[in-house]
Amino acid sequence: MSATRYTLRRLAELLLVFLGVTLLIYLAVFALPGDPIAALGGDRPLPASVQAALRVRYHLDEPVLQQYLRYLGGLLHGDLGQNFAGQSVAAKMAVRWPTTIALALTAWGIEIVVGVGLGLYAGLRPGRLGDRVVLAGTILATSIPVFVLAVSAQLLFGLHLGWFPVAGDDAGWPMAYLLPGAVIAVFGLASVARLMRGSVAETMRSDHVRALWAKGLTPRQVVGIHVLRSSAIPVTTFLAIDLGYLLGGTVVVEGVFNLPGVGNLLFQAIRAHEGPTVVGVATSLILVFLVVNVLVDLLHSVLDPRIRHV
Amino acid sequence: MSRTRARTKVAAAALGLTFMLTACSGGSGSTSSTGGATNAAPVTLRVQSTDPGYLIPGRNTVAYDFDMAVWAPLTWIDDSGKLTYVAADSVTSDDATTWTITLKKGWTFQDGSPVTAQDYVDSWNTVAYGPNAFENSGQLAHVVGYTDLNPAGGATPTVKEMSGLKVVDDQTFTVTLDGPDGQFPLQLSQGQTAMYPMPKGASADLAAYNKHPIGNGQYEIVGDYAEGETITVKKYADYKGTPGTVDEIAFVPYTDTATAYTDVQAGNLDVAGVGADKLIQAKTDFGDRLYAFKAAGIAYLGLPLYDPRYQDIKVRQAISMAIDRKTINEQIYGGLYSPATAFTPAIELGTPVGLCGELCEFHPDKAKALLAQAGGFSGTMTVYYPGGIGADAFYTAIANQLRQNLGIDAVAQASTDWAEFYQTRLNQKAPGPFFSRWGALYPSQQNHLRAFFVKGGGCDNCVPWYDDQVASLLKTADAQVDADKAAAAYKAAQERILAEFPAVPLFDEAYSYVVSDRVKNLPTSAVGNPTLTQVVMADGS
Repeated sequence: MSATRYTLRRLAELLLVFLGVTLLIYLAVFALPGDPIAALGGDRPLPASVQAALRVRYHLDEPVLQQYLRYLGGLLHGDLGQNFAGQSVAAKMAVRWPTTIALALTAWGIEIVVGVGLGLYAGLRPGRLGDRVVLAGTILATSIPVFVLAVSAQLLFGLHLGWFPVAGDDAGWPMAYLLPGAVIAVFGLASVARLMRGSVAETMRSDHVRALWAKGLTPRQVVGIHVLRSSAIPVTTFLAIDLGYLLGGTVVVEGVFNLPGVGNLLFQAIRAHEGPTVVGVATSLILVFLVVNVLVDLLHSVLDPRIRHV
Repeated sequence: MSRTRARTKVAAAALGLTFMLTACSGGSGSTSSTGGATNAAPVTLRVQSTDPGYLIPGRNTVAYDFDMAVWAPLTWIDDSGKLTYVAADSVTSDDATTWTITLKKGWTFQDGSPVTAQDYVDSWNTVAYGPNAFENSGQLAHVVGYTDLNPAGGATPTVKEMSGLKVVDDQTFTVTLDGPDGQFPLQLSQGQTAMYPMPKGASADLAAYNKHPIGNGQYEIVGDYAEGETITVKKYADYKGTPGTVDEIAFVPYTDTATAYTDVQAGNLDVAGVGADKLIQAKTDFGDRLYAFKAAGIAYLGLPLYDPRYQDIKVRQAISMAIDRKTINEQIYGGLYSPATAFTPAIELGTPVGLCGELCEFHPDKAKALLAQAGGFSGTMTVYYPGGIGADAFYTAIANQLRQNLGIDAVAQASTDWAEFYQTRLNQKAPGPFFSRWGALYPSQQNHLRAFFVKGGGCDNCVPWYDDQVASLLKTADAQVDADKAAAAYKAAQERILAEFPAVPLFDEAYSYVVSDRVKNLPTSAVGNPTLTQVVMADGS
């Protein structure tokens, strides 16, 4: 199969996944217990006439499938619907995506630099003290819930040491994004380091590397060029997929650091049972994830010519 | 006010726990206004907010702070319960049914146009008009003609104006209510934002007006409102009442109360609300920079009267006397709440403090004896409350005390979120005693007694007991214009309620705030919220 056909097939799959996912999410939001309009005023009920008018305005009086079809129809016209405050979901997302992207890319950068560095360091001295410290550190890092990590980092580096702003994006990039980015990066960083470590250790033992040593190349040439490149494939795959996770996994951290991104928006929308917002944000997150996945698959054959999509 | 911990700001907002009420004039006194004439940088007060979506008073559910800075109410009730006039010159009536409101002369909107009686009437009609679906339209429900604008079944109304509103002249209009109501001047006070005026033309393009609201209050909006961004208001130079103190107020949106709290500690934010579950920590962290305002809010333990096991009044009284309010207050609220002693909070004028007597006190032996007389309690008592609002410790404590002091099987159970809880309570499906609270937008016994004990009064099925006798006693009380007579009449209604004991009064609430060290004094009013426009800063501004 040619690369073009492969790409087309993947895109077709993407469309199917898109339809399935939007329907599922729509149904899930609809199935949430409780009536969003009745609870719209908090513990102050809205007058019956107001509730009725709002139900008609947001088509909540229709059966769920009809609502879904209406939503899809809107999508074809580029209309992502509106939330229960009458705001356009598309406009809300447009305002918030840049924040999330900046946050995810910051985290990604930290993950690459620190993760690859640690992995390389540990992989070059397997079994020795440095390796064990990295191993123990990464196990510890992956076992701390992100919420705990976020709040602790905020209290320590934001409040007590004052190195970073406590919250908000007033300070702009990079200051406002470094601390939350590092918090998000910790989990993936641990995986990157361990993948890299294994990969490097294995490559160091391989025949072609021994041949390189035998040829008399310097350590810098062996490690810097040949080992790094051979070890990069599994890590690249992971990093690419992880970018998808990072873009979608910022809900908690955006909340704690008060960054107005899509994760924050999604969280609020779920609490308010706002179907169109939840579906819009979740779908866009899934689309990003899927597209990144397709790109990774295509990238594979570039990095390693032996991999062919047949 | 179960205002909360991590990530529950949203929930609190959704709950409409409207303690973000802030300010307007009324209280004269501390007007240490430095004025804008100095060449120093403007003094800006940074205040936690929830991104509101709707700013305009007829629709706001979480923008009370903003609204009360940008608009002036007709009347104002201070923290001693005293009513004064702000935008109104007088509010009078001979029969408590038709009220004449006279406006102060010379007041202007922030666009320079004069505030007229016609503006009030037009605004109120816009708010009340059913198809506009304004969230706060219920505040006008007792004006004659409201039902014509809100026909049953969602039909389109044939009229757009309430027949009960009549403009007399530029400064005067009359309001006819559907029955005598001596509490009407209180209903015009700062918390009832639906009563605020909008300038001419606002109704024609409400979306534009929401982006750039223009009010008649101490502060005017700077620029336009953009979703999710900080909203800044600055002093309105031509305001005719008591001017604001600080030059600017910035409303900074947070989705997480815990983050706002930390930001106050770091000095990046000046005022933030504190959840009931964080009060003890706040006492340690902030000391005298923690303010707990006595609020017009009261929490009951609602009882599922549709469950036959709660039919015997002795069971209900036993539950009440098995709860050690004092200890719970110390352990969970840091002693900042007050055990309830009546069915309305003490701050509301004429509340018969102590009415509940020993029934609202901790008497475990009497409680046990009463329960035994009633034949005990079979099965599990499931205390049901909304999850995600930081109320877990409180309801777990209640369940523990019921278990220990009554010797029954009692557990606490949270719902997944507010919407689920709300619907369960509304449909009378709560599995056991449940969360039941009401915060009044105007501090009158009428507000709480109506909300809890009149069908459709507000807190629907918070007390699933609607008694004709209570309803008629309340009608009698509403009709009293004289404060003492009204107090006596409301007391009679409370006595009737006490005789049936359909719900367990728990606590008079306090709404709590922490401030940065830039703030020297954070004043409050009868609704229990900070009066931001009268804040005194430490640097003397």
